[in-house]
Amino acid sequence: MSDVMRTTAPEGIKSEYGAAAQGRFKRLWTANAPGYLFLLPWLIGFFGLTLGPAVISLYLSFTDFDMIRSAEWVGAANYVRIATADPKFAAAMRVTLTYVVLSVPFKLTFALLVAMALNKGVRGLPLYRAIFYLPSLLGGSVAIAVLWRQLFAGDGLVNAALAHLGIQGPSWISHPSYSLYTLVALSVWQFGSPMIIFLAGLRQIPTDMYEAASLDGASKFRQFYKITLPLLTPVIFFNAVVQTIDAFKAFTPAFIISGGTGGPINSTLFYTLYLYQEAFGNFRMGYASALAWILVLIIAIFTAFSFLTSRYWVHYDD
Amino acid sequence: MTLRVSRRNFMAGGATLLSLSALGSKAFAADTRLRLLWWGSQPRADRTNKVSQLYQTKNAGTSITGEFLGWGDYWPRLATQVAGRNAPDVIQMDYRYIVEYARRGALAPLESYMPSKLNLGDFDPAQIEGGSVDGHFYGVSLGANAAATVLNTTAFQEAGVDLPTQATTWEEFGKIGAEITKAGKRKGFFGFADGSGNEPLLENYLRQRGKALYTADSKVAFGAEDASEWFDMWSKFREANACVPPDVQALYKDTIDTSPVTLGKAAADYAHSNQFVGFQAVSKDKLALNNYPRIKSDSKGGHYRKPSMFFSVSSQSKVIDQAVDYVNFFVTNPDAALALDVERGIPESKAMRDVVAAKLDATGKIALDYVSGLGDLAGKLPPPPPSGAGEGQVVLRTIAEQIAFGQLSPSDGGKQLVDELSRILAKG
Repeated sequence: MSDVMRTTAPEGIKSEYGAAAQGRFKRLWTANAPGYLFLLPWLIGFFGLTLGPAVISLYLSFTDFDMIRSAEWVGAANYVRIATADPKFAAAMRVTLTYVVLSVPFKLTFALLVAMALNKGVRGLPLYRAIFYLPSLLGGSVAIAVLWRQLFAGDGLVNAALAHLGIQGPSWISHPSYSLYTLVALSVWQFGSPMIIFLAGLRQIPTDMYEAASLDGASKFRQFYKITLPLLTPVIFFNAVVQTIDAFKAFTPAFIISGGTGGPINSTLFYTLYLYQEAFGNFRMGYASALAWILVLIIAIFTAFSFLTSRYWVHYDD
Repeated sequence: MTLRVSRRNFMAGGATLLSLSALGSKAFAADTRLRLLWWGSQPRADRTNKVSQLYQTKNAGTSITGEFLGWGDYWPRLATQVAGRNAPDVIQMDYRYIVEYARRGALAPLESYMPSKLNLGDFDPAQIEGGSVDGHFYGVSLGANAAATVLNTTAFQEAGVDLPTQATTWEEFGKIGAEITKAGKRKGFFGFADGSGNEPLLENYLRQRGKALYTADSKVAFGAEDASEWFDMWSKFREANACVPPDVQALYKDTIDTSPVTLGKAAADYAHSNQFVGFQAVSKDKLALNNYPRIKSDSKGGHYRKPSMFFSVSSQSKVIDQAVDYVNFFVTNPDAALALDVERGIPESKAMRDVVAAKLDATGKIALDYVSGLGDLAGKLPPPPPSGAGEGQVVLRTIAEQIAFGQLSPSDGGKQLVDELSRILAKG
C-alpha cells in the first residue's frame, strides 16, 4: 500500500520525503557506526558462516550434489524421497523424538531440584554451583562421550558397581534396548546450564510471599505448587525451548559412543548423525541438505507450538 | 626471576621473526609443493614421512607436507577437500572408494605415465588391474594383503585347544570356539568374534560357494538362501557360546583397538594380513594368522590377494607430474621400500619384495608368509565394489545385529539383506 502512495505522490513531496529519510539514515548511521563496528566480527561470522551456508544448503537441497561433481537441479525429489521412501529417516526420527521427549523433562526436573536445594542458602554455594555446572561445560565434548563409553561398557564402572549387588549387567552402550537411555542419562547429567538459570529465577521470587504463605499455614509443598512454580514459569518456558532445540541437534555423544554408526541396530541413530552419514559417508550432500531443512522445519514447529501454548501456562507478573 | 621484555627488544625480536618468515616464504615460493593425505596410525605416519624426507633429499626444491587421520575421519575430510577444490596432490585410496572417486572425476588417469615415469613393470598384473576403473588406471597399489583370521595363540594354549589349520572347516571352527569358551581360563572370554556382520568374511564364504558379493555390473551376486544359511550358521555358534555375545560384538568399530582380540574378549577375530603388525603391537599375547575357515575340507578360492591401499593423484593437482614421480619413488625405490616395510601390505614390485624380505622381522614375516602361502585358498581378485558398497556394509552389519539380538530370524535376515542391497545399488 505504501508503494502505491509513494508512486502517486507529487514530485515535491516525494523528494522531500526522500531527503528526510536520507537525513534520518545518516543520523542513525553516525550514531550507530561505532556500534556496528564493534558488531562487525559477529556480523561477518553471521553472514559468512551462518546465513550464507544456510542459503546455499537450501539451494543444494533441491539438487543431487555429491561433493565432487557439480550439482544438478532435481526439484523436490529429495524431499519426496524423505517423505515416502526412506526407512532410515523414520528410524532416525523415532530415535531423536524419544531422546527429546525423555531427556528434556528429566533434565529440567533434575536441574530444578538441584537449584532449589542450592537456593536453601547452603554454605559454599559458589563452589557447589561451579561443580554442578561443570558437566555442562564439558558435556558436548568428545572426552565426556569417551568417558561415558568406559562407564557403561560391559566391563565398565557401572557394571562393576552392579556386580557388588550380585547383578550381571549387559554392555549398556552396545545393547539396542539400553544404548539410547545411556545417552539420555548423559544429557540429564549435563543439567548445569538450566540449573543456573533456575537458580537465578528462584532468586527473583520475593521471600515475603513465602513468609505470608507460611503465616497462613501453607505447607512447603503447597508453597512450591502455588508460589514457586507459577512464578518460575517464564524461566521454565525459556529452559524448555532452549533444551528442546539442543536435544534435536544432539550429535557428538551418539557419534562418539556408537563410533559413527548409530548402532547397534540404529538404536542411537540421531537425526543429525544420519544426516552426517548421508552427507559425508554416502556423498549425498543434496539429500543431506534436504534432511537438514526438514530438521529446521521440525524445530520451528516445536518452538512455535511452545510459544502458542505458552500463554495458557506461562505467567508474567507485569 | 622475572622476565622483562623492553619495547625495543620486542620490536627487534618481532622484526627478526618477520624477516625469518619472509625468508621462509621465499624459499617455499621457489619450490614445488606436494600435499599428501593418508589414513593410518602414528607408526605409518613415521614411515611415510621418512620416505618423504628421502624423496626431498634426492629432489631439492620439492617440499612435501603430509597429513594423516584415522579411517573414520579420513573420508569426510577427503570428500570435503575435494568438494572445496582443495584436494591433496597424492591421495591414499581404498579399493572400496576408488570407483566412487574415479567415476566422479576426482582422480587423474595415470596410464599415460607408464612405463617411463611410472614404472610398474614388475608388478603383478592382477594388482594393476585392481587399480583400474572403466579402462583407466587410477590407483597404484602400495602393497598386497589378504583377509585373515587373527589368532591369540597364548589363549589357545591356556585352554589346551589346538590352533585351527589351513584345512579347518566352519563346523570344526565352531567346535574349537565352544571349547575355548568352555575352558573358561579368562574372565568373560569367548572362542571367537561374531563375524556374521563382517563383509570380507561373508564374501569369503560366498566365494567358496561359487558366488560373490557383487557382480562387475553392480548387482548383488548371491541369493537370499546363501545369506540365510550364513546367518543361521552364526546363530548356532551364538547358541553354542562359540562366539562373543552381541552386546560385546557391538563394541567393535572396525579398528584394531576395538577388536575383541585386542580387548581380551575372544581368541580369534577377522582382519587383513597387513593389520597383523598393528594387532601384535597392541597385544601382550603371541598372535598368529590363519585363513578363514573352509565350508568343506576341499572348498577353494574364498581368499584373494588384494591391493591393501592405493596412492592416487588428484585430478585437481597443479603438479601432477611431480605427484606421479613421488608415487613412483614410493613403490620402486629400495630405501623407500625398507622404510615402509610391510606395514601397508607386501610390496607389489618383485624387486622391492626381495629387498624387504631380506630384512623382515618375525612379525612382518608372519604376514608375508601368510599371503604367499595361501595356495588353493586364493582365487581371482573380484571387481572393485560398486558405488553404494560402503552403505551395503552398514546394512549387513545392522541386519546381523538384528539377528544376533533376536529381533529377526536368519531366514528373514537373508531375504532382507538381498532386498536392501539391491535397493541401494539401484539408487547408485
